Amino acid sequence: MDTQKYYEFCTRVKTISGHNSLEEIPQALMDLNAKSPMIITDKGVSAVGLIQLVQDAIKKSKNKIEIKVIFDDVPADSDITTVNEIAKLYKEKGCDSIITVGGGSPMDTAKGVNILVSEDADDLMQFTGAGAIKRRLNPLIAIPTTSGTGSEMTLVAVIADHSKNKKMAFTSYFLLPDVAILDSRMTLTLPDFLTAPTAMDALTHACEAYTCLAKNPLSDSAALFAIELIRDNLLNVIKKPKDANGRLALANASALAGIAFSNSMVGMVHTIGHAIGGVCHVPHGVAMSILLPYGLEYNLHKTGHLTGELLLPLAGSEKFAAIPKELRPLKSIEIIRQLNEDLHKATGGRHSRFLSEVRNREGTQMIPKDKIRDIALTAQNDGSIFYNPEELDLEDLIMVIEAAWEGVPIDRKKIKMSKETSKVKIKI
Amino acid sequence: MRIENYPEIIPGKNPFKKIYLAIFLWITGRAIQAAARTDRVVKKEFEMLPDDFMLYLGVSPNGPGFVVGKDSNGKAKYMGAKLKGKSITLKMIIKNIEAAFLVFTFQESTAVGFAHDRFMVSGNLDEACRIGRVLDIVEIYLLPKIITKLAVKRYPNWKQMSPIRKHVGRVIIYTRAILGF
Repeated sequence: MDTQKYYEFCTRVKTISGHNSLEEIPQALMDLNAKSPMIITDKGVSAVGLIQLVQDAIKKSKNKIEIKVIFDDVPADSDITTVNEIAKLYKEKGCDSIITVGGGSPMDTAKGVNILVSEDADDLMQFTGAGAIKRRLNPLIAIPTTSGTGSEMTLVAVIADHSKNKKMAFTSYFLLPDVAILDSRMTLTLPDFLTAPTAMDALTHACEAYTCLAKNPLSDSAALFAIELIRDNLLNVIKKPKDANGRLALANASALAGIAFSNSMVGMVHTIGHAIGGVCHVPHGVAMSILLPYGLEYNLHKTGHLTGELLLPLAGSEKFAAIPKELRPLKSIEIIRQLNEDLHKATGGRHSRFLSEVRNREGTQMIPKDKIRDIALTAQNDGSIFYNPEELDLEDLIMVIEAAWEGVPIDRKKIKMSKETSKVKIKI
Repeated sequence: MRIENYPEIIPGKNPFKKIYLAIFLWITGRAIQAAARTDRVVKKEFEMLPDDFMLYLGVSPNGPGFVVGKDSNGKAKYMGAKLKGKSITLKMIIKNIEAAFLVFTFQESTAVGFAHDRFMVSGNLDEACRIGRVLDIVEIYLLPKIITKLAVKRYPNWKQMSPIRKHVGRVIIYTRAILGF
């Protein structure tokens, strides 16, 4: 196992995990000297009664906590306008903290709001980039309702500016939430076609954290255990959606993968996935599920030995031991492809296996082939590209996206390989 | 004990690293301007940047560094080594001299430098990606292959950058960087 010559790692999110952990919210707020929280969520979360669960948990408490306002209109692709609107409401109502309930969009929005209200600023742009936020922000409690983004554990927020047609990334240790609450009740109602891609998003975080340039031993340990939890629980939960233990295990997997990638960053799977989201508005987890095997395949000559090591958590110790070292990298990729296939069957065909298969609710194809070049052009400017082991120019990106669109493996002869650094000679 | 008998010990400084970095960054800043007027790919990258774009690439806390921005004609321009009085839109700062020395002596590639959290980036990350690509191309022009291979993830093959483009470009960019046009 490699140890980085130098790395930085930070995770200081107090994590409360359990079947009834929402009941700990009042105490968590009191510990943070907060008693007037604002709730930020979206309509979907609110409609299935999850906010009511949070409100009930707070009402039960004898602590004098008063929810000042609930904003439940965060759009799926939240942007700077929404952030400004919520920040204004936060100030008007005299809130002192934020509870964010939802998937990636409400969480990232809440982080953006927290920047504005804590810094008493009105221009989010001045905080874009890495390390631009220099001081502690107001208390933030994150309650995920999907097991995928890991945003409750990360230092990242991505917020769109639709007027300029771009997504702004913010990274700072001060964006780490103060508390993450993982409660199995929050994901019990998540339908199978959303459970599958969001968990595959978490799997992608773990696999990329383990194989990309900023990997480190602390992230690695979180990543490997996240993969094991997904291996043991994902298909079971799809078959038995009310399995609370399985749901909690997936929530923990997502949090662990979040810890891993928050400290190791991610590579080309996210580079292309972010661009597909930006250009074609495909849900992030769907793009991740499809692209993960392609990312690992493209980097085989650089990090094949690491992809081979992923076989242990992906397949278990017996299968790992039975497969020769030089075949393990390809076997890892095969298992991920097979998992996508199994999820496709288990969800009645609603889990997509390749990009041309992705359809919206009306049944329209979301990624037309003529958008591939636009996706590649956008991907070139995604910050995660720095962390990918192999270089990717426009031609490389188009080649990978075309393969993922058609659902065929990458033609490895087309990869313009730099110096081979994989410690395992890959047998193809 | 008489404290005056114990003079303060001032840690020694190695000026070599700072001088090396100052020279390296001075050449790189001027070479970016030259490359943007010589190489079509670098020129295109600059065309895609906003009109008010201004980059500071330097070392924390007090430099050295350089500023490159777009002039009133939209062309890339080296604007000196000082930050003062300039509206920087993208700041790429290496956290300390030691880290900068590792990156700019190519003991660590630029990508590994990012992976090792050597950089702080304030500003738009898509602009930082463009500058990352520009720096790679500039290094290919400025440095011999054996050194550039340590700095970039993948050295371009002759199909991506023909020997004529590389060698003729190198002469022009060095000339322009030194003479400043």
